[in-house]
Amino acid sequence: MGRYINKAAALFAVGAIALTGCSATAATSGGDESLTFVCSPQEDWCQVVAAEFTKASGIKANYVRLSGGEAVARLTAAGENPEFDAWFGGGADGHIAAEEVGLIEKFVPENAAKIPEEYKDPDGFWTGIYSGALSFCSNTDVLDKIGVSAPESWDDLLDPKLKKNIAMAHPGTSGTAYQAVWTQVMLNDGNQDAAIDYFTKMHSNVLQYSKSGSAPGQMAGRGEVGVGVIFAQDCQKFINEGFTQLKTTFPKEGATFEVGAVSLIKNAKHPEAAKKFIEWTLTAEAQDLAATVGSYSVPTNPDAVITDDMVDTSTLKQLTGDIREMGQARNELTSRFDREVAPAPKS
Amino acid sequence: MTIPLLDSPATGRGRASTPGGNARKKRAQDPSVIILTTIVCAILLMIIGFPLFGLLSSAFAPKGLEVLGRMVTDPVNHRILGNTLLLGLVVGVTGTLVGFLFAYAQVKVKFRGKRALHLLAMIPIVAPPFAVATAVITLFGRNGAVTNGIFGWQADIYGLPGLTIVLSLSFFPVAYMNIRGMLESLDPSLDEAAAGLGAGKLRVFFTVTIPMLVPGLAGSFLLLFVESIADLANPLVVGGDYTVLASRAYLAVTGEFNMQAGAAYSLTLMLPALCVFLVQRYWVSRKSVVSVTGKPAGTTELVSAPIIRVPILILVGFLAALIVSIYATVLAGGFMKVPGVNNTFTLAHYQFVLNGLGSKAMVDTTILALIAAPIAGIMGMLIGWLVVRKLKRASGLIDFVGMLGLAVPGTVLGIGYLITYNTPVNIFGLQVFPALAGGSAILAGAVAIVMVYVARSLPSGQRAAVSALQQIHPAIEEASTSLGADSATTFRKVTLPLIQSALLTGLTFAFARSMTTLSPIIFLTTPGIKIMTSQILAEVDSGRFGNAFAYCTVLIGIVLIVILILNIIIRKVVFRGQSHRR
Repeated sequence: MGRYINKAAALFAVGAIALTGCSATAATSGGDESLTFVCSPQEDWCQVVAAEFTKASGIKANYVRLSGGEAVARLTAAGENPEFDAWFGGGADGHIAAEEVGLIEKFVPENAAKIPEEYKDPDGFWTGIYSGALSFCSNTDVLDKIGVSAPESWDDLLDPKLKKNIAMAHPGTSGTAYQAVWTQVMLNDGNQDAAIDYFTKMHSNVLQYSKSGSAPGQMAGRGEVGVGVIFAQDCQKFINEGFTQLKTTFPKEGATFEVGAVSLIKNAKHPEAAKKFIEWTLTAEAQDLAATVGSYSVPTNPDAVITDDMVDTSTLKQLTGDIREMGQARNELTSRFDREVAPAPKS
Repeated sequence: MTIPLLDSPATGRGRASTPGGNARKKRAQDPSVIILTTIVCAILLMIIGFPLFGLLSSAFAPKGLEVLGRMVTDPVNHRILGNTLLLGLVVGVTGTLVGFLFAYAQVKVKFRGKRALHLLAMIPIVAPPFAVATAVITLFGRNGAVTNGIFGWQADIYGLPGLTIVLSLSFFPVAYMNIRGMLESLDPSLDEAAAGLGAGKLRVFFTVTIPMLVPGLAGSFLLLFVESIADLANPLVVGGDYTVLASRAYLAVTGEFNMQAGAAYSLTLMLPALCVFLVQRYWVSRKSVVSVTGKPAGTTELVSAPIIRVPILILVGFLAALIVSIYATVLAGGFMKVPGVNNTFTLAHYQFVLNGLGSKAMVDTTILALIAAPIAGIMGMLIGWLVVRKLKRASGLIDFVGMLGLAVPGTVLGIGYLITYNTPVNIFGLQVFPALAGGSAILAGAVAIVMVYVARSLPSGQRAAVSALQQIHPAIEEASTSLGADSATTFRKVTLPLIQSALLTGLTFAFARSMTTLSPIIFLTTPGIKIMTSQILAEVDSGRFGNAFAYCTVLIGIVLIVILILNIIIRKVVFRGQSHRR
């Protein structure tokens, strides 16, 4: 009889603990045997990163794939009580936008010593893991049919022949698209009105603003549109996946580069695991994983392997901008885009 | 199996035909009724009341008011609102027409293969929202296998045309089932009377059949209107530049994380939906001219006159072919490397769904839907019983609140949950329960997802229960009570077995709806819980159609298998000998 009472008491206690809810469970799980990270690159890369990190460290890793804008939004929503511990990938400007509202913890990893200066935050909030150049990903079959050649400059995208034949993501949700918006700001010497003006003109040529940044490449690959404005590594991935009629070109005004960053979330529930994770992502072994799943961004660790599929940064004319300024302007610019460009009627 | 969504509200008003309508006067309110009513009210408050209240208070916060103000003044918002209403109108008309054609062919026209046609019309109910959209792009897109591949024509389906095709084909089953039910209960003697007076077949069709169906057609139109303006998935995939309120609210929430703006857009979306819903329930249903006289006198004579038969069968055949080709694309696309571009055979997509990352989504979704379905089914029966048999004044209100889960657009419900349950709920400074939604909530936010599932799938069971109970004479239950059983025992031992087919309908739809719902879920998925429909959206948006097709096929498979098992369990195990076949 006594046994049953004990059992009942134990059950009761377990139930009571369970009922006290998240605060109790959060406090007890400080062992850092697991971590949850936001992952902004393509899904298969996220998958392999989570699996390989678990293999290398024994720490169970979960992730949610959120594009740059969504990640900022989701982190803002959770605020003081974040559901994530680290943020892997996505443009550094997104990390800066999150840091601006106090969601990112300063953390300078030991392995960052190897990473060149231009891929690191001088203030130590993020560290670069890859870089990628914004490009035009064109379907040559479609372009032949409408009689234009692959675009070589941003002005080419305004050609009326390309009506409804361009796809781009929505900068509100996608870091890729925001990179495009910021490129226009840079080309107009920092004049944001002129950048918005450019996209108002391009708007008639855009078929659809997608949610994730790489989607326009697929749309171009399937022949739904002629040109997708995406990163060169994503376009290369699609080419290797069988969309052989795709062709990557860069704007002659100069290509702009995204630095894909990793950062530590403020008030993370598993800070130690997150730090280990960040250190690991900076190693050459971790960075070599990208190419195995067809993500051909250029790794930041000089020891990582550069393959033929990656963009040769030495032959490209490059435009460099202030990443921090880009991050700070993000919220205002994207909401202007959302109000003034996206819903406008097409001519 | 019918969805009795078009029944009139169970308030007793205008329901003189309810058997034993006057037997309601004597009602001993025993404690079990009071307890059950309290439980039902508490659950309804949690799954619908609180979220809607949270949404309203957010929409009327300063930032929300700003958006509401712009709603009135800004021409951009006028266009979005106009787009939304136009979409509802067009899909309402097209979907009802498709549903009517199918129902008419099924009930009235002579041809072979009726069973196949019926099954074909039911597939969209168990299919996830993107199956159609994705397949339509592959087949009829600008580089579609049919439009460009066969006819060499670069069709532009993005925007209103594409949305109309996709939404009509996804939602028409509701119209089909309602109109079929009405056609079946039409008294054939009316047709005979008209024919006897010398009217030709065509004349009978236009002057007798159609006018009798007007309430059914209007009801279907209004339901489709609500469903289509609430839809979020398809405008994101084939919307092109056609912005509607649902996708606008989604962008406000996920892109800018402007909750108040999201709430304000949702409120604007909810108003027309609620109006239409009210009109449908309290006005159209009362105009019904189909008198329920029990079995129709005599058997329906099937139409074989070519003047009606040929055009209808041609149209239905064309639509059926369209539906078949769409689902065949879904099935086949899962095995193609890049469907439509590189059609090499591969098992990689199924590998991904069944074994890779997708497997977690598959398991999570099925478990949560399996938890939600019985809750929703039993709740539906309970509400139906309380409303029809036990409660007087409050019955109209409870019945209405129960139906809100269907009337309120999914996007709106999802945003309401996000606002209300992302933080612990406090009443008068007292923590009532911890955060239920979001990644840091208990059970990784699974509770909120189950709650949404229940809210969304409760109405179909509730309607089935109400209409089933109205056809059962209360004397049967009174006999049980006078032999000494209390209300709860009577409900369990007498009422429930009597309405078991309604329960089965409720459970089936609850499960199918839970598995395929997206609009509210998209706001509630967390790192710990992956839901198939939102994974499909991610795959579709990044253009990995192969994975999306594989997901859709697996999802349809799961739903069909579970429905089959449910049928067996309910009929053979739960109600063993007490079967009441109707």
